[in-house]
Amino acid sequence: MSNRRIPAIGLQVMDTVGVVLEPVSASQEVVVQFGETSVSVTAVEAVPKFHKIALRDIAKGEEVTRSGTVIGEASAAIPAGGWLHVHNLRSRRGRRD
Amino acid sequence: MNNSYQSTFQGFARSVGRPGVRNYLLVLNLTGLTERAAQRVAAQLANACLISMPHGVAITGAGEEPVDATLLQLARHANVGAVLALSADRNKAARFAEALSDIGKPLDVLVLDSFHRDIASFCEAAAAIGRDRVLMLSSQRRTPFAMTELSLAVECGMSDPTSGIAANPLVGAFVDRFVGAGGTVIFGETAEWLGLENQLVERSACESVGRRILSAVRRREDAAKAIGLDLTNNNPNKANIDSGLTTIEDKAIGSVSKSGTLPISGVLSYGEPPQEPGLYAMDGPSYTPESLTGLVAADTQMALFTTGLGNSYVSALAPTLKITGNDQTASKLRNQIDFDCSDIITRNARVPDVLGRLDRALTDIASGDLTRGELMGEGNEVVARFGETL
Repeated sequence: MSNRRIPAIGLQVMDTVGVVLEPVSASQEVVVQFGETSVSVTAVEAVPKFHKIALRDIAKGEEVTRSGTVIGEASAAIPAGGWLHVHNLRSRRGRRD
Repeated sequence: MNNSYQSTFQGFARSVGRPGVRNYLLVLNLTGLTERAAQRVAAQLANACLISMPHGVAITGAGEEPVDATLLQLARHANVGAVLALSADRNKAARFAEALSDIGKPLDVLVLDSFHRDIASFCEAAAAIGRDRVLMLSSQRRTPFAMTELSLAVECGMSDPTSGIAANPLVGAFVDRFVGAGGTVIFGETAEWLGLENQLVERSACESVGRRILSAVRRREDAAKAIGLDLTNNNPNKANIDSGLTTIEDKAIGSVSKSGTLPISGVLSYGEPPQEPGLYAMDGPSYTPESLTGLVAADTQMALFTTGLGNSYVSALAPTLKITGNDQTASKLRNQIDFDCSDIITRNARVPDVLGRLDRALTDIASGDLTRGELMGEGNEVVARFGETL
């Protein structure tokens, strides 16, 4: 199964993340569809269904965008093909610091 | 496409205001002492809808005016054919009777002390009046109206990533079509504008609308900060996060997309009805029962409610169409989901094709088809507390 391409959805081409439509295992290829164009990335770890996969390397502290909107900042470095979730992404809103 | 929107429904004409999609006897309970009696009266009557405010005269000071205003708005609602108000407090009853004197539909107000504070005779008298009113309402007939005479609430609850990919964009596309043709739509849930407020400001019809959007967002965000509330695990909640959503900004992308792309004509206070057709933002809580009641109090006759994981809550007054883009939720929750748009994800269905199906579902429900929530008897109204609910 590992050579099967997993579909994912992106919202805007500049986005740093896509949403996988099926569960992904490490080393599977994920094809993220942005309307007519698509970007492909190889997963470096498991990504649960409907969770996010990083489309390029993201440095700690860097903004993460989806649908052209900043959804937070990386709280740890995230490699391309990594699982992007609350363990490595934090909100910039409603914080006291 | 906007000009081609000519859908109609069968509704109830009102002498004052918008047509109804339902014709309820509203049993409106105003005080704590009469709540159980009001529940018994409503349970005895077909087609009665109970709205109860058991805190009654305990609500004082700055909190009283917005709660009473919301209850009065619910009594004026287009889906209400007659009102039976019950109270243990004569002053409150008198204020409501006075405020509703121009309501244009039958209004009966019963006060407990008229029955020597005997709840048994109070209850029987209320039920007897209620029976007459329900019979009268049942003799009224539906007539045709343009769908654009409706005002619609859009709401989301228990979102997951499919909400932002399928259900909310579908609703947004419908909102564009409906408002473009002259209809009215209200969205709320201020905390779910966080991160998207600049896009909403760009869509504001005028500068003052933009300023109100920014100040509403700032007020909610400051309220969260003031109590040291971490939005992560509150909004989005744990179930949202387990499903794949991450931050409030991430969730807000889906939430705001259900408002479509058209200009925002105004910002409404909780429960405030708009004066003109168009698209409106209501500054309100995100907690579903309070949020939906605020939108319904603003005289929205139906609600489009998107969910990812499933959310059983529906309005008592406004038939609430449950929409999901999650195929597993659609198949597991057959008694909750009215509209399954998961083919947008599973079969790459095009939103314009699904829109026609959604419009038919809405016109059928407006004309009297039951929603799953109505079938299950899940409807309720929960007026927000003031001080704030975030």
